[in-house]
Amino acid sequence: MAELHTTINGEAVAADVDPAMTLAEFLREKLYLTGTKIGCGRGECGACTIIMNGKSVVSCLIPVMRAEGAVLQTIEGVANGRKLHPIQEEFINKGAIQCGFCTPGMIMSSKALLDANPDPTREEIREALGGNVCRCTGYVNIEQAVNAAAERMRKGEK
Amino acid sequence: MQYINAASSSEALAALLKADGRGMVIAGGTDVIVDMKNGKIHPELLIDVTRAADMQGIRVEDDKLVIGAAATLTQIARHEAVRRFYPSLAKGCGTVGSLQIRNSATLAGNVISAQPAGDGAMALAPLAPVFTVLSAAGERTMTMGEMYAGFARSAVDHSRELVTRITVPLPGAHEAASFVRLELRKSLSLPMLNCAAMVHYEDGAVRWVRITMAPVGVGPVRAAAAEAYLTGGPLTEEAMSRAGELALENANPRSNPLRGSREYRLETLPVMVRRALEECRAQLV
Repeated sequence: MAELHTTINGEAVAADVDPAMTLAEFLREKLYLTGTKIGCGRGECGACTIIMNGKSVVSCLIPVMRAEGAVLQTIEGVANGRKLHPIQEEFINKGAIQCGFCTPGMIMSSKALLDANPDPTREEIREALGGNVCRCTGYVNIEQAVNAAAERMRKGEK
Repeated sequence: MQYINAASSSEALAALLKADGRGMVIAGGTDVIVDMKNGKIHPELLIDVTRAADMQGIRVEDDKLVIGAAATLTQIARHEAVRRFYPSLAKGCGTVGSLQIRNSATLAGNVISAQPAGDGAMALAPLAPVFTVLSAAGERTMTMGEMYAGFARSAVDHSRELVTRITVPLPGAHEAASFVRLELRKSLSLPMLNCAAMVHYEDGAVRWVRITMAPVGVGPVRAAAAEAYLTGGPLTEEAMSRAGELALENANPRSNPLRGSREYRLETLPVMVRRALEECRAQLV
């Protein structure tokens, strides 16, 4: 076992961890942050996407000890209390959710993009979401949701 | 299993040597973790080099581009100097996996994983890169041709040594490089074929050309017959098409149930080689 110190959704976390774990396993099984989904478990679906030091990563391929000293955001930290984030609201408004399994990863990829780039081109949205697979919605509504959220965030909504 | 976040390449090497073969280097980890999950490897110690201070960043030094082995594919693909001097390398690095993968994975790792068609490694191949390797014996350098020992087998022993940086000479006058890819889709898909080229073309004649193609053998395979044919002559439509056909002399593709049969790859390879050459010429003429 090893000691891990990290920051998750603004809170300092210290934990004893098995270094053989992935970050996705740690979030789900030790911290019960089960909003982060494990789909394929090999980096090919994007369901486990979180934001690590400002960048989207697939947490199923991140060894847990790489989170030492890192700043992490998961889907649980996106809403402000009961008030949904504009990205979450626009996913609902545009019908960008069906079964919902890919949605946390989609939202985290979208948030990583919009936090760094408030006015992305269509190509930039597609690059940011290209690693997130959805088998229900067909992607068009998701792209529209990101555009709509970007517009609201540019006006100052958080 | 134990895990060390190494602060420098020398600290990583010291930990490797102490583990005496039971440890291994991990950079982005996007291949290593998959291999561990599949039970292909069982390291007792992982030595993470992503924070090693002397392995960070990308810089231009004299007439060379120096890429730290811990630089991520995203950092390389978006780096101003890479985009200016070698847009083909930015394109190859920007094509691997998905953005999330590229935010972790490194170009050095893409070479060390020694997969037959890693897009970053293949875009790098014709640029005459030099790899600096640190081991108990000190530093040594290796060329692209020396890096691959077999399918998914690197000539660098990640349990005893590590790549610290990749150095690429900047293109001179009359030189250009390209990277092209035949693909099922844009993201999360290995290429059916990829091909890269670099050419020195002056006064209507090819002074030298390097053409690399994959997956048609172990690592990036040089299209030696096509290179020999083109050298000294003009880059006409006919010459580029002929070079594409000659590329088959050095290609031995396998069949893949998802990414094309051997027959399909042999039919399309000449087209990809021709396109790679056309992209070089378009930048020069």
